[in-house]
Amino acid sequence: MKTLFFRLQHRYAPYIFVAPFVILFLTFTLYPLVKSILLSFYITNGPQSQVFVGLANFRFLWTDPAFHKAVWNTCLYAFCSVFLQLPASLGLAMLLNSALVKGRNFFRFAFFSPHLVGQVFVAVLFSVIFIPKFGLLNRVLHFLFEVPVDIKWLGNPNLVMPAMVLTSLWMYVGFNMIYFLAALQAVDRELYEASMVDGAGPFRQFLHITLPGIRSVAVFVIVLSTIGSFQLFELPYVMLNNTAGPDDAGLTVVMYLYQNGFVSGDLGYASAIGWSLAFGVLLISLIQMRLSGTWKTED
Amino acid sequence: MINRPIEDYFPFGKAPILILIITLLAGIFLAFNPIEKNTASLRLWTFARNHAVPYQKATPAFEAKHPGVRLDVQLVHGEAVTSRLRAAFWADLDVPDLVEVEISRAGSFFRGPVEQVGFIDLIPFLRASGMYDRIVKARLSPYTNRGRVFGLPHDVHPVMLAYRRDLFEEAGIDVESLESWEDFIRAGQRVTRPGERYMMELSDNNPGHFEMFLFQRNGGYFDADGELIMDNETALETLKFFIPLVAGPQRIGSDLGSGRVFTQAIETGYFLSFICPDWRSKLVETDIPRMAGKMALMPLPAAMPGGRRTSTWGGTMLGITNACDDPEMAWEVAMHMYFDKEQLAERFRETNILPPFKDAWELPAFREPRSYWSNQPLGQLYAELAEQVPPQYTSPLIETAKTKMGGVISSCAAYYREHGAKGFDAFSRARLKEAGDEIRQYIRRNPY
Repeated sequence: MKTLFFRLQHRYAPYIFVAPFVILFLTFTLYPLVKSILLSFYITNGPQSQVFVGLANFRFLWTDPAFHKAVWNTCLYAFCSVFLQLPASLGLAMLLNSALVKGRNFFRFAFFSPHLVGQVFVAVLFSVIFIPKFGLLNRVLHFLFEVPVDIKWLGNPNLVMPAMVLTSLWMYVGFNMIYFLAALQAVDRELYEASMVDGAGPFRQFLHITLPGIRSVAVFVIVLSTIGSFQLFELPYVMLNNTAGPDDAGLTVVMYLYQNGFVSGDLGYASAIGWSLAFGVLLISLIQMRLSGTWKTED
Repeated sequence: MINRPIEDYFPFGKAPILILIITLLAGIFLAFNPIEKNTASLRLWTFARNHAVPYQKATPAFEAKHPGVRLDVQLVHGEAVTSRLRAAFWADLDVPDLVEVEISRAGSFFRGPVEQVGFIDLIPFLRASGMYDRIVKARLSPYTNRGRVFGLPHDVHPVMLAYRRDLFEEAGIDVESLESWEDFIRAGQRVTRPGERYMMELSDNNPGHFEMFLFQRNGGYFDADGELIMDNETALETLKFFIPLVAGPQRIGSDLGSGRVFTQAIETGYFLSFICPDWRSKLVETDIPRMAGKMALMPLPAAMPGGRRTSTWGGTMLGITNACDDPEMAWEVAMHMYFDKEQLAERFRETNILPPFKDAWELPAFREPRSYWSNQPLGQLYAELAEQVPPQYTSPLIETAKTKMGGVISSCAAYYREHGAKGFDAFSRARLKEAGDEIRQYIRRNPY
């Protein structure tokens, strides 16, 4: 009897242990993925009312001005994320990696801490900071540069994106700094000492030792930031009071997906947007990895 | 046997067995502590606290009148009520019997085949109860779709102009003489000092304020047949009238945002007046009690001689869902909450919201002078304008249309700031048409 128990246990226990994951994965990941592919060929009014339209949803994406605006806004945000956020993160990391800075641990935590509070909190905080006339930012700008106090950061289509980029800078610079800091600490110190003996200055050291040394982490951070940027939703959604802002200036692809799927009820078109986004992000990530030489084999 | 290590019986280690034990304990705990079953025979969702509290107060009286019926009034957050309701309709699960939906969201629930709309048609109930002729008809229009009325209006929301009486008097503005918008603009240009003081609160990017002007001129986004009219001549004329009020050197309006920022701007005299539907008057009373006696109300200036002196802003509908097992009893709830005169009087004192049930307006509560509003009879003032409230027709695309209109206002204001009146006519016409064509593109795509 006991032998049979042990034999059954040996045979079935592993399956029982992996079963929760497999069931959850099949139910909440694989099934929705497959279902969303199918849905993208329908115009829907909720899941129970569907009309098959073939590739019409994907064709409509090409002519839908709101989608184009969302793509433009998202790309602009992603571009700013990569080209403003990451250099700022790297600069901070290098600064806080230097032995000359006192209280480095405190500053590392201070710069990282905005990330701990989450996008919704940050969005609420910054929507207050950006208030015209009474908001902190306008008050400070007025005090320093005597600019008018009624600048509408979230009410002027031209200022919405800068406001979002500024907010995300505050939130993510410290977060990405941690990756760079870890990478910088892994660079062999002897290389710097040897280069100093060879007469290399800080710029040449940065170009020929630091950058190659942190390349794999930098690529990882760039890809991660790009993917994160393309998934932007909570920040503009909360900052712009559940809207896409003036003249859709804060409309992102994910927000447009949400509006179509969960406000208009067209889960089919939302699925088409979702899959287009997924392919777009995949393509951009592949290009980034290709350009950065991630797949090159070391000789 | 007791001395043998646990691995002899369970070879996968201590951690998995701990997980198993925790899982079992959690399962047992849940089995013995099930979530309390909701025993209510009718459930009503509302998104507004100032609706929920009086409904909850009125529930015992309703239950006493209908023995055996238990009504559960649930307050659900504004954003959540629409997403939860939509999910409930889709899954046909946990659908409330009655639900209040905000006016701008109502249209999105009327999408798809008419028989699949999640609300029942209320026309038979309205006619049978005689209420059809006793409420403000225009307020049925936002909740009417393809000939069916899916929602009972909670309110009328006529619009007046609230102003700082003390500052108007200081500036020598006689409100009695401000009959048309031209009169008002002339006075406004005299007192406006850009960046410091504006005659009124008006947004150059949000369609909310523009709509007041559009509705006042019999314009709108859609007509009674659901046809798009947001780019017709009325809309264009309204746009051309509105933009110079918020952009350019002659502007008299600006905005800062909503909530406390807005009320603070009133208190500091940054705005001298603002468009004030009934619900907003309570917001101001609550937020800036120090302004008591310094505020007053006047009808909107007319857009044309003899034109209507009001417009409308906001609204809520009460719908009975298809999932309701007892629509007659749900209608009784609606009657109790929406047409009980005593309750409406008390609720008006608490919220300032004018009900669409005209019989109630005769009650003393609606004629009382309000000290906050310089002893004006607030209820009477709004009631006198209520019959003039324009209808606003809806569509599942109403929110998209409003967003596009916001974009038009924003870009036209930017153009006017930069180029002034030169070429503005052609630009605003083109921009409006572009927005209208976008919406038509969505309409053409709709297979239902």
